[in-house]
Amino acid sequence: MPERVLLIEDDHELGGQIVERLRRAGYEPLWWNTGRRIPPEDLQGLALVILDLMLPGTYGMDILKDLRATSDVPVLVLSARNDTTDKVRALKLGADDYMTKPFWPEELIERVRARLRRPTLQRQDLLEVGPLRIDLELREVRLDGKPIELTRVEFDFLTALARRPGVAITRAWLVEHVLDPERDGTERTLDVHVSRLRKKLGGALVETVWGIGYRLAAGRDPGSNASGDPKRKPGHEP
Amino acid sequence: MRLRLRLALTTLAVTAPTIVALVALDARMRHAAAEQALARIAFQHMLESGARDRCEATPATWGGTPLPAPRTGSAPPHDLPLFDHPSGPASPPPPPADGERPVRAGEPPVLFAYDALLRAANPRAPVLDEDLVEAIATRDVAAEPFTIRGPTVQVLLRMPWTTGPCTYVLARGTTGPGWLGAILPASRVWLVPVGIVIVAVLLAVGPVVGRIRKLTEAVRRSAAQGFTGSVTSPGDDEIAELGRAFDAASQEVRTQLAEKDRREQALRDYLANTTHDVMIPLTVLQAHLSTLQERAARNDPFDMSVLVSAMDEAHYLASLMHNLAIATKLDAGEPQLHRAPVDLNALVNRVMGRHRPIARQRDIALESAVPEHPVVTDADVTLLEQAVSNIVYNAIRHNRPGGHVAVLLEVIHEGRFRVRVLDDGPGIPEADLSRLVERGFRGDEARTRAPDGQGLGLHITFRVAALHDLDLRFQPSEYGGLQVDLEGYCGP
Ligand SMILES: Nc1ncnc2c1ncn2[C@@H]1O[C@H](COP(=O)(O)OP(=O)(O)OP(=O)(O)O)[C@@H](O)[C@H]1O
Ligand SMILES: [Mg+2]
Repeated sequence: MPERVLLIEDDHELGGQIVERLRRAGYEPLWWNTGRRIPPEDLQGLALVILDLMLPGTYGMDILKDLRATSDVPVLVLSARNDTTDKVRALKLGADDYMTKPFWPEELIERVRARLRRPTLQRQDLLEVGPLRIDLELREVRLDGKPIELTRVEFDFLTALARRPGVAITRAWLVEHVLDPERDGTERTLDVHVSRLRKKLGGALVETVWGIGYRLAAGRDPGSNASGDPKRKPGHEP
Repeated sequence: MRLRLRLALTTLAVTAPTIVALVALDARMRHAAAEQALARIAFQHMLESGARDRCEATPATWGGTPLPAPRTGSAPPHDLPLFDHPSGPASPPPPPADGERPVRAGEPPVLFAYDALLRAANPRAPVLDEDLVEAIATRDVAAEPFTIRGPTVQVLLRMPWTTGPCTYVLARGTTGPGWLGAILPASRVWLVPVGIVIVAVLLAVGPVVGRIRKLTEAVRRSAAQGFTGSVTSPGDDEIAELGRAFDAASQEVRTQLAEKDRREQALRDYLANTTHDVMIPLTVLQAHLSTLQERAARNDPFDMSVLVSAMDEAHYLASLMHNLAIATKLDAGEPQLHRAPVDLNALVNRVMGRHRPIARQRDIALESAVPEHPVVTDADVTLLEQAVSNIVYNAIRHNRPGGHVAVLLEVIHEGRFRVRVLDDGPGIPEADLSRLVERGFRGDEARTRAPDGQGLGLHITFRVAALHDLDLRFQPSEYGGLQVDLEGYCGP
């Protein structure tokens, strides 16, 4: 069932475009072009509210205050004023996020998605990312069900990436937290470990992120922070 | 209240009680003098040889005005009755009973005799006042207690004998003659100093009033001319000082007006420049859109690059507007920093979100890494975000298609964070690194490849960094492009 997103935006052109975008992104948009109090029964089943602060008549902050009094639905605030006071105030009143106009529609959809992304319920001792299954208790890794033999460093490295799938982790952090400081703890060594690991895992599971480090391909999550352009190959180290 | 009127009233208020007091004093002194004179005359008369006998001989008629003291060598002293008799031709009129006729100053004294019980044998003798009767019991000469009653003065005298119808003598007279009876001095000389004082006051006040009027006029004139003329009053007294104070005040008004004019002018210039700055990218954008439209109308194959350029221009416009708005704030004098705890992870993510669409269009790989736990610092979020955004946008904009940009937020050592932006674009010559933050500085590459840049972005980053005590460093990145580090302290 598509998630319902309430848009409160007075500009017809902009409102229409956002609604269209939301719909195409698979949400069920609901659009009010005047600011008014949101009756609690309307809040039922809302996944997110996008609120324009500069509505005529009602000051957007009042709607926000009102909304927060009765509900904790996530609120994304839009503002044409790039003003710190507004931002700080909106956050204080309980907004979850804000965007300053102008913005690209993609950016908005990405934000909505980031807000609505459910934290994947993970067991303390088990990480599952795509075809990977890491048992932290037994220190055992399975790829598509097949067990893979990993060294201690390889296992720790993979676990570090799998804890934040789709997120780039810096080489410096990995060197510090994965490599044995007693032994050779340089970024070169790390790269050597990674190339061995890649041979074992095969494919593009462990991505190199240009200028940063490594990342575990997030697999099926469409809204991840991973490079959104499917044509783009992960960067290569020079 | 007018100055003159006020002066007159004040003078009156001060002089009137003074005059009353002086008059009272004067009257008292004249009463005292008259009492003494009466006592002297009466004693002199009564102690002349034979006076007592004459009195005691005819007490029923004794009384009247004593004749002047006899001159030596003239006729023997007048004998009694030296007092007037009702029939006597040379005698003055008898002293009247109180209230019958107004008593005038300067009338001659009269004497009457009383016995030991203070009774008069002469029916014309007045009944004694109780005050006198009381007073004579304890002394030899009794006078009435002082009251301003008019010119009448009475003294009761005890004679050096204690029996007979002439044991006491009442001397009755008046004070010296004068204007207003006994009240004002006889001579009008006092009018001269009073006149002189009045003239002096008028002489002193006249010019003062005149100068105040002139000063008022000068101030009015100056105000009417927008405080351009100066207000002066010659001299070195309080009025001249007032003039100078006015002049100083109007000078202050003038400088403030000038300052306001200057600021207004700056604002107008700023608006004109901003409009100019914005018009260029807007024109470029229109050209791109028009090209697209024309090609579509001719059914030419769709040119993606024109569309990307158009989007690029729109994106640049947005960034320019943000920078111009911040530049205004910074230029307006002390910028008001609205510091609050800023989640740097979220800030980096917002900056990434803002530029990711355009990086994608430009075929630039834009990647970022933030620590798992939020890094927080105390900053004005709008300024800091724009500072970071300018660095990131530069790395995208001054890069080549297929290039890379990496943004790293790290906690480098205890309490310090670092935002590092790396790219593998053309970079800039080391010699130019130090000039990057100059307002209006643009590298040679940038001038040809991104012709509508302002050289404003890094200048703003630099100023924001300075306001927040952040270290801003530029160096060639190990990948050939530019590496920009922004470092500061964590924690709210
Ligand atoms: N990452 C970079 N790679 C190469 N050159 C850069 C980079 N960043 C900045 N520069 C050079 O520094 C100059 C100044 O940058 P700055 O951001 O101040 O101005 P701008 O980008 O030209 O214009 P704008 O004011 O619109 O940002 C640029 O013109 C460019 O020559
Ligand atoms: Mg720039």
